[in-house]
Amino acid sequence: MKISNIFSGFILAATMLAATSNCRAAGQDTKDPKDNDQTLRAMRDEMARAKTRLELKIPGTDQPVRPYYVEYRLLDLDFREISGEFGALLNSNHARSRFMDVEARVGSYKLDSSNFISDDGFRGFIGSTGSVGIDRDYDSLRQDLWIATDQAFKEAVETYSRKQAYLSSLARQSDINDFSKTEPVHQIEPLVMADWSNRDWEKEVRETSGALRAFPQIYEGRVTYYLVFATEYLVTSEGTEIRTNRSFAAIESGMNALADDGMPINNFYATYAVRPADLPAPDAVRKSLNVTGSELMALRSAPAAQDYTGPVLFEARAAAPLLAQILGPAVNGARPPVSFTPVMEQLLSGLGGKSDWITRIGARVLPTSVTVVDDPGAKEFHGVPLFGAYGVDDEGVRAQKITLVENGVLKNELMSRRPGPDFDQSNGHGRAAFLSDARPTMSNVFFTSKETMSPADLKKKFLDSCREQKLAYCLVVREMDNPTISLLHQDDFQALLASYGGGAGTGDRLPLIVYRVYPEDGREEIIRGARVIGLNSRAIRNIAGIGNDDFAYNYMQSQMNGFAGTALGAFGSAQNGLPASIVAPSLLFEEVEVRGARGEPKRLPLIPAPVMTATK
Amino acid sequence: MRSRWIHVLCVLTILGSGASAVLAGPPDAPAKRSTIVAALQSELDRSFKALKAQDPPAYFIGYTVTDTQRADVSGSNGALLTSTEGRNRWLEVSVRTGSYTLDDTHKVGERQQANGGPGTPVPTDDDAEVLHRAIWLETNKQYAASAQALIKIKTGKEVKVETAEGKAPDFSREEPHIHIGQQVSISVDRKPWEEKVRAYTKAFRDSQAIINSIVTFSGQGQNAYQVNTEGTQLQFGQIRYRLELFIQGKAPDGMDINRYYNFDWVNPSDAPDDKAVYAAEATMRKELEGLVAAPINDPTVGPALLTGRAAAVFFHEVFGHRDEGHRQKDVTEGQTFSNKVGQQILPSFLSIVDDTTKKRLGSQELLGYYQFDDEGVPAQRVSLVDHGVLKNFEMSRSPLADFPHSNGHGRRQLGATPVSRQGNLIVESSKTVTDAELRVKLIELIKAQNKPYGLLIDDIAGGFTFTGRGQPQAFQVLPLVVYKVFADGRPDELVRGVDIVGTPLAALTKIVATGDTTEVFNGYCGAESGSVPVSAASPAILTSELEVQKKESSTDRPPILPAPAHDPAGTQAKTGGQR
Repeated sequence: MKISNIFSGFILAATMLAATSNCRAAGQDTKDPKDNDQTLRAMRDEMARAKTRLELKIPGTDQPVRPYYVEYRLLDLDFREISGEFGALLNSNHARSRFMDVEARVGSYKLDSSNFISDDGFRGFIGSTGSVGIDRDYDSLRQDLWIATDQAFKEAVETYSRKQAYLSSLARQSDINDFSKTEPVHQIEPLVMADWSNRDWEKEVRETSGALRAFPQIYEGRVTYYLVFATEYLVTSEGTEIRTNRSFAAIESGMNALADDGMPINNFYATYAVRPADLPAPDAVRKSLNVTGSELMALRSAPAAQDYTGPVLFEARAAAPLLAQILGPAVNGARPPVSFTPVMEQLLSGLGGKSDWITRIGARVLPTSVTVVDDPGAKEFHGVPLFGAYGVDDEGVRAQKITLVENGVLKNELMSRRPGPDFDQSNGHGRAAFLSDARPTMSNVFFTSKETMSPADLKKKFLDSCREQKLAYCLVVREMDNPTISLLHQDDFQALLASYGGGAGTGDRLPLIVYRVYPEDGREEIIRGARVIGLNSRAIRNIAGIGNDDFAYNYMQSQMNGFAGTALGAFGSAQNGLPASIVAPSLLFEEVEVRGARGEPKRLPLIPAPVMTATK
Repeated sequence: MRSRWIHVLCVLTILGSGASAVLAGPPDAPAKRSTIVAALQSELDRSFKALKAQDPPAYFIGYTVTDTQRADVSGSNGALLTSTEGRNRWLEVSVRTGSYTLDDTHKVGERQQANGGPGTPVPTDDDAEVLHRAIWLETNKQYAASAQALIKIKTGKEVKVETAEGKAPDFSREEPHIHIGQQVSISVDRKPWEEKVRAYTKAFRDSQAIINSIVTFSGQGQNAYQVNTEGTQLQFGQIRYRLELFIQGKAPDGMDINRYYNFDWVNPSDAPDDKAVYAAEATMRKELEGLVAAPINDPTVGPALLTGRAAAVFFHEVFGHRDEGHRQKDVTEGQTFSNKVGQQILPSFLSIVDDTTKKRLGSQELLGYYQFDDEGVPAQRVSLVDHGVLKNFEMSRSPLADFPHSNGHGRRQLGATPVSRQGNLIVESSKTVTDAELRVKLIELIKAQNKPYGLLIDDIAGGFTFTGRGQPQAFQVLPLVVYKVFADGRPDELVRGVDIVGTPLAALTKIVATGDTTEVFNGYCGAESGSVPVSAASPAILTSELEVQKKESSTDRPPILPAPAHDPAGTQAKTGGQR
């Protein structure tokens, strides 16, 4: 949905997505729900017309063109967004909305109208996506689906002919199919009503954001609560019919300041839950924000990072998000789209959006002790709820537990219904944020090793290695940055993106909380502005030490096209991400390159800051 | 995408109905000064003291907080689409460095230096400390951007050749104004509106020609708080309600046919009743069905009669935009009227004023009414053309060599930088005939020119006006409802696919007579400072020569299947689908 309006945050936030975790009643598979769901009925009836009667006669041909596949997706969203800063409410929105997305494919599973980036788009009349009525009525949805199906089909016909023309100009064509076949799935969950709990969310936002008043040197500090209930529908011409319920809640806070030398510094806090009622209480949030604020103050007066090459210890809290960034693009097994402009392809690999693991099945990609599993069915890890669970993916394929890497050897890739060079069937990992195109996306990833050591032993190994290399200090990374949340302004984000240059593709990473550890006396010193260079999927083949301190990290995984593989792409926010989890221990790398001084210094304010009292 | 459609529409949308302005409190209750004004003023004093001592010095700082309360209810095809309400406050900070003569907004060649961004949201809670902080940050940011721009301008200026108007000062000196008016608020019960938009869009489903319908109700209460370093201190509010009706259809050759209608009012009791709305719907439906079946008109040149509303749009596009002051000093603009002050540009029986102090014209609400413009200058009546002679421009605080002051037309959509814009553009005529006589005159002209027919243009959608120099000096407005009028007495024939083309100056001089009834067009006009509410008013006009061409048509054919509600084979398809 390209709805942009800077003044209505809720619309922006409504681009929040779909596949959040679930409040699923297990194993529901009733063909006809007793609840007389008019939405489902309208989708079925219009689908029946599309399947049997939709055809276009092309002048000069005998056979009319018909769609071989039609898909209706509908997202029913009930959404609250409440944000505040320093104890005052910025805005509070509550909206219910429904969006549909209709896809039609012409051609065949082998070669169809998809996977093609054309230079000239179809200019439709109303569009195959858009808002639909929120009354859950039959007639208006029929009307909307009718037009959307007509548009989607005509668009597919046009794209297919462009694609064929383009392919005929190529010397060699891909032998990978465009679309995989799959068994139809019937899963109709009972309808669930939104449960906002009786907590006073506006009051909580005022209370929690007020915690940051204790830090007058914070420039901006915004706290936003997102509470989301969604019902998702999927009806396809292959016979799949799905109705699932999801709910999701988040508290996200970004904050910024300037160091005395004018270097901008940021920090963030985020916590996620499946139901609003499970969000932490205000006292706990205030406590966490206090920690985050204190860290920012420590960063503010910390020395700037210097260029460094040597051992780096990623503690579990940092190792988990680091692995999420590296693995995300690597395990994606889908073929890239055929692009009319080859420049696109270069751009994609330059930004780290291309998998280095593809076509390397059977090769060693990690230390031989390591196994990596993606399990969408996992609900918790040692009592910590995992956030990435789902039963059926956004293409209607049942989720499967996949062993990606076994004893260091690449065994599998995550597959959507878009085939790739190594696999041509989906394994239920086609996930989509807010009715976007489904892409192979991680759910709950477990990184485990047969050979681990205690955190104390790992630290000792790290310091020994530091001494051996005769370094004055070595670096420990405690937290990774998530710029999507920590940066409060679009222009800051763009500046960061620009500063990446080609680094994204070669493995630039953004650590946030980094300490120098002096082996002489074990003294620790926080530094700011460090950037890790070249830590890509090849760099993780050899890991010097793996801890036994597994940490479960819940996050919103971004699907931002092309930027996957960087912190910018791997991590989204409640506004644009897919719930995901990764469980990983501390990791020690023998040699990592770190550069200092990230970002451009800014002019310090010419006017002294106005007074802000710590309590209201 | 629906939302996009609405935006396209808003480039210039139409019509209004009467009501009276209403303030929140009783009329004589003394207005209370908001704490926001105090916070803005104290932060302004602090900032200016610090920034005027810098290099380069800030010579002007202005703060505006706009508090917007909105309720929106929209429906489509018989169902509710959205129903929301919300409130937000937006802070805009303007910092100018240099001097009134040469400052950071100066355009060098075609380059306008980047400004410091659109501003920032501030809390809706009254918390002075948090507001101070937001102002402080935004002021620093805007000063930095302004100082950087000024340095670039000073280096760039020496190498560029400038026009005479380019040497005009960058900012006008204006008297400060202090006005603490009543704050306004709205209280909307959305439930009845939800029922109404359902019913209003459901009614359109009866027509097979209507493929899609959207009806939107919106209510907005807006309070502005503004201070600047010249001593201006303002607090005032404005309420607007609007109901928009929109339908879409398709001719057999794929041409998109849209009809649109809107009601604007200020006092809740002036909301249109069901009878008025259904009457408007009936007209829209009849026109859409007629247009879907109508033949395409061939390109032609000949006499034409524009009804009042159509003429109002015509003047807004052809005259109004070109008379906006800032266009006269911009080298990238066509500067159609730059050197025409004191010259005859229209027939001597026509005069044009832009009067933003006017709330109504007759019983018609005027959407371009306001108390102060977005640069804090009071609204005023400006005579632009007097008996055919060009007298003045719509002026913001960007002065021209001969027009050193603003006349209260510096306007913007929230977040954009104000430029000169139209408000209530009113065309007055001293050569009027009754509308019936005007038609007789049209037929006389058709005969005199030996043409088979002339055109009657009943409705125009705001077209895009090319005012830039790079583009041909032509305008294009989109007539929506056009009839062929025959000299031999045959009934009028509805046609479609008509685009008006031609050069603006020529078109204006070809007007030969006007009707005697002024009609009002209310709409939102989009230009470089965003979308602002405007009115245009004009009597019907008769022009001896109008050139029309064929409208570019969509290649997208009508839907393949009939609408579900009008599909005789509808239920059979369902069983057919379950082979």
